Amino acid sequence: MAPSQAAHVNLSPAELSFLRATLSQTPPIRLDHTKGPKDFRSMRAEYDVLPSANGSARIALEDGTEALVGVKAEVEKSQWRPTPGGEASIPTVATVATAEVEDTEDDSRGKGQNAWIEMSVEIPGFREDDSLPVFLSSMLTESLLASGELKDRLYINTRFHWKLYIDILLLSPPLSYPLALLSMATHLALLTSRLPALKSEKDEDPLFDDDWDASVPLYPKNKGKASADNQIDKPPVIVLAMAVGNNIIFDPCKEELAVADAVLAIACASSKSSPTGARVVSIRTIDPPSHLTPPGIPDSMNSATGGKVPSSSADALTQRELLANSGVWTPPRGGMKRGLISQVVKMVVENGGVAEEVISALQAIEVG
Amino acid sequence: MAISILPPSLPAPRRHAPSDTSDHDMSDGEISGNEEFSHSTTTESIVTPGETITSDTQWMRGHGTYIPANSSTIISTVAGTLHKTNKLLSVQALRARYQPEIGDLVIGRIVSVQTKKWSVDIAAPMLASLPLSAINLPGGILRRRTAVDELNIRTFFSEGDLLVAEVQSLHQDNTASLHTRSLKYGKLRNGLFTSLTGAGGGILSRRGGVVRSRRQVFTLNTAAGEIDVVLGVNGYIWVSKHVETKGEKDAGITKLEETVSETLYSSQNEDLEPGVLKEITRVSTLIKGMVACGTRVDEDMIVRVYEGAIEMQAEEESLGGVEKGIGAKGIVEAVLARLALDG
Repeated sequence: MAPSQAAHVNLSPAELSFLRATLSQTPPIRLDHTKGPKDFRSMRAEYDVLPSANGSARIALEDGTEALVGVKAEVEKSQWRPTPGGEASIPTVATVATAEVEDTEDDSRGKGQNAWIEMSVEIPGFREDDSLPVFLSSMLTESLLASGELKDRLYINTRFHWKLYIDILLLSPPLSYPLALLSMATHLALLTSRLPALKSEKDEDPLFDDDWDASVPLYPKNKGKASADNQIDKPPVIVLAMAVGNNIIFDPCKEELAVADAVLAIACASSKSSPTGARVVSIRTIDPPSHLTPPGIPDSMNSATGGKVPSSSADALTQRELLANSGVWTPPRGGMKRGLISQVVKMVVENGGVAEEVISALQAIEVG
Repeated sequence: MAISILPPSLPAPRRHAPSDTSDHDMSDGEISGNEEFSHSTTTESIVTPGETITSDTQWMRGHGTYIPANSSTIISTVAGTLHKTNKLLSVQALRARYQPEIGDLVIGRIVSVQTKKWSVDIAAPMLASLPLSAINLPGGILRRRTAVDELNIRTFFSEGDLLVAEVQSLHQDNTASLHTRSLKYGKLRNGLFTSLTGAGGGILSRRGGVVRSRRQVFTLNTAAGEIDVVLGVNGYIWVSKHVETKGEKDAGITKLEETVSETLYSSQNEDLEPGVLKEITRVSTLIKGMVACGTRVDEDMIVRVYEGAIEMQAEEESLGGVEKGIGAKGIVEAVLARLALDG
């Protein structure tokens, strides 16, 4: 379970209890009352902001959280590794021949390596080895590598490959858990990344077209024919969902996160089988900061309000249990119900679900 | 529409604060011929820290400016707009922290608990302090503070608690000392906290922000019941359910303390009906929208925007399809446009 941000919640028990009460109404009243449970905070996005990067994007939320992502590709010499299913230590004539038999598109399938993508997340106020940036970058890398398509696309030939450096910079302090924002910015940057066109053939030293207009997009666009097996592939995007009671709320803000029962980060990519809908690439639970909040002291146990301080901690616990559903803040315990998880996943991946809307909204930025 | 992603936009045109116009009466054109100064003839131009405003010796430096040793150039020390009052040049910062003044009503959040006092965040450059001797203790105003009270300091306020207080005094380093020695002040509950940036009051009238001289605690009548709004001068805002204190009318001066002290330091919310929850959230969202639109935040404006928003929602439900933008800002913009039409 990934840890929550180090900056811990500083809300009073009365506020937490109030927020919890609003979010557990049906339908939930969110902090921004104009928004429904599935609504995202509005954001502003642009791409190609960094001239010297292969692809870049900047997304700013309305509350001032802002992320900048740059994608830089470099040609790197591949480390020699034996091909599975053959003792071929040197590329002999035989192996080259078999490679030629294969379809040119399949040439790179399964040859990508995880190390070809390097990601760094920088968050102001955090060291590089602090848990928050480390976990964020590993969750983002994990979702990118899960499908295996991106790393295969970095294959040039047996001796060379592209190395992709993805640098993510959060320009503002992390007001809410920034995973979704960073993932969307990364998605947009990768979607608009371009690599120079390759001019050399086979295992020659790679030679590239120096005309940037001739460069090829990292995620090739679908031209005209949309056959089922030639679906346009897009990088995955992570959405955050949290549960309060039986309510599911997407894209929680900081205050809403502070009263969450459980938080899920769902990485999803567009579905291969159907033109609409999405598939789940990875799921992680995130430890909600609500677990660390101090419980509110009920009036009956508070000496300042005419109550009596319980004599022992066991006594205090029993009294607390009886007051569970009143206006006293009690930090949530336990995890997420299995039914809720499946409900969240369904809401994300269904046709016209959250994932599809996010991916198409990001796509619209690139087109528009 | 679950998600809206827009392309970046140019910054919205700045609204003039209503009382902004009296400052710059540039009657005699002394500044002609000074190239450096020519760009700032309009008040809308922004100067940045370190930028030379003028090297003309006839000007006096005011707030937000600086004259380096052995020179006569006036340099800006903050990022903001230039103001001229006769021969005085001052720069009003775009954003500034709250500067406490004696008598200000502020909302604060307890940051730490010390032996005999609390440190309170009131959005000022430095934390304010609230001594144990400056609060009402339950059980009578004239009770002595004992060692037991010091030990039980966390039963009154603990870390994270919100309180409304008054600035009692200022120390030499501009740290404020607060007190809650009134029944109006004390711990906050049954509501929602919002904060807005920009300092209220201050040397020059600022755009947005809470106005110091207006009424800061008022009750709003809504369909679901009464709602209290507390506007702290420091930009912290509390919107909560109005709770009738039953002792308010019949209790005499001596009994007043005892009747109120029951719930004075409670951190437990009352039973809040869904309607009240909704209205509290609505008021708080509208205040955020008003900040985003750059309007001033005071009683009059909040009441008008709230009533406009309620009216608009009613129309939307009966007619459908009322034109409004996205989110809180969109609603407030629509309401303001409508108010402007009405005159």
